[in-house]
Amino acid sequence: MTLDPIKPAFDPVTLAIPLFVLTIVGEILLRRFRKVKASYEARDTATSLMMGLGSNIAGLLTGAAIVAVVIWVWQHRIFDIPMTAWWAWVAIFFLEDFTYYWFHRLSHERRFWWASHVNHHSSQHYNLATALRQTWTGGVAGTWLLWLPLALIGFPPAMIAIQKGISLVYQYWIHTEAIHRMPRWFEAVFNTPSHHRVHHARNPRYLDANYAGILIIWDRLFGTYIPETDAEPPRYGLVKNLGDFNILRVAFHEWIGIGKDLAGSRSIREVLGYLFGPPGWSPDGSRETSKTLKAKWVERQKAEAEAEPAPPLAAE
Amino acid sequence: MNGLLIQLIGSAVAVAAMVGLAAWARIPRPTEPLDEHTACDLIHTDYPGYPIDAVWIAADGLGAIARSGDNALVLAQLGDSWVTRDMPWTAAITSPIRGGRIRLRIPDPSAPKLSLAVSGVTPWPPQAPEDLIAA
Repeated sequence: MTLDPIKPAFDPVTLAIPLFVLTIVGEILLRRFRKVKASYEARDTATSLMMGLGSNIAGLLTGAAIVAVVIWVWQHRIFDIPMTAWWAWVAIFFLEDFTYYWFHRLSHERRFWWASHVNHHSSQHYNLATALRQTWTGGVAGTWLLWLPLALIGFPPAMIAIQKGISLVYQYWIHTEAIHRMPRWFEAVFNTPSHHRVHHARNPRYLDANYAGILIIWDRLFGTYIPETDAEPPRYGLVKNLGDFNILRVAFHEWIGIGKDLAGSRSIREVLGYLFGPPGWSPDGSRETSKTLKAKWVERQKAEAEAEPAPPLAAE
Repeated sequence: MNGLLIQLIGSAVAVAAMVGLAAWARIPRPTEPLDEHTACDLIHTDYPGYPIDAVWIAADGLGAIARSGDNALVLAQLGDSWVTRDMPWTAAITSPIRGGRIRLRIPDPSAPKLSLAVSGVTPWPPQAPEDLIAA
């Protein structure tokens, strides 16, 4: 059997579109009849779905150039990896997921890439529609470069595209409050609704955590895993939430913020800090980053613990 | 090209249908008009290090402005959720009122304009410190 190494035999995301529609309808109806935990606000839902639609259109604009680069790199590959070998699919499953972890971590911890990814976190809701709130500027941000080493190793472009699609489809179903916890073994290995709720939370406790795509093992391995605590339910959205539902603002507000900051920069250090520092970086430290927010939260926790009166001694 | 166009049109129809369903279902988070306690709680969540001196509630209960020293902490409803921002108190009290709403301009591209309803009962700016409800 031969498979076209360039053109994917199928696109998992396109195949999954009917599933997306049916499950969103299902989540809304189940919530309507009080069978599951979920909330939908019509304008928020419209924004999420319009962002998804716009993302497809934006992808068409940059897709051809990205595919051309991937093919060029693959033509200079180190090994010949057959698409028909089972071990190749096992290998790309782990390697693509590992790549996704670092892409995702970079997209949160460095402002230039956060500007492209922030829109996905801009909803204050967490439902299946939120999963489709995708970037319009990913191609411009260049995070796709991170997948080039797979092509250089020798994985065919079609194989990379299919595995990326599988990962995206996997990550769709975890955007829900309808599922509380999966079985313990599953929670230990895979990314789940619970793990990903933490990732979408704006509580200082949960910031910059659980970057996983399919496997949560990478977060456990690299120290970014934080479990969901029932005592502190996630509050979704951004540290500073958007002021309206305008999809252009959703797509571009952080880029505009970067532009304004760069226009006021007074040194190379400031330019680099505003571009590649963590989101919230400022030369004088007057703005909040995830790190400072977490540090202040830890301080408050300590202060509250110290302020609590000691438990009374048991009667003799 | 035709296939792509059909796919886009189909997607747009599906989006409209899902949004319509979400509107029909009426399943947003429950939100009540603000009272002082709720407003302070919501503001405190986003500004835990800011002691609230006093709070003003918008006429329709869909927003509030808290004074914290020289800062105005603004709370505005967005759908069934909330948005907060801070600005200098002096800028807040000099913000213009048009169409029965205070128009707050914030130098932040993610929420450049917030507006809150005013009325004769809840005028803005507060005429005197006692017009701000003690928090």
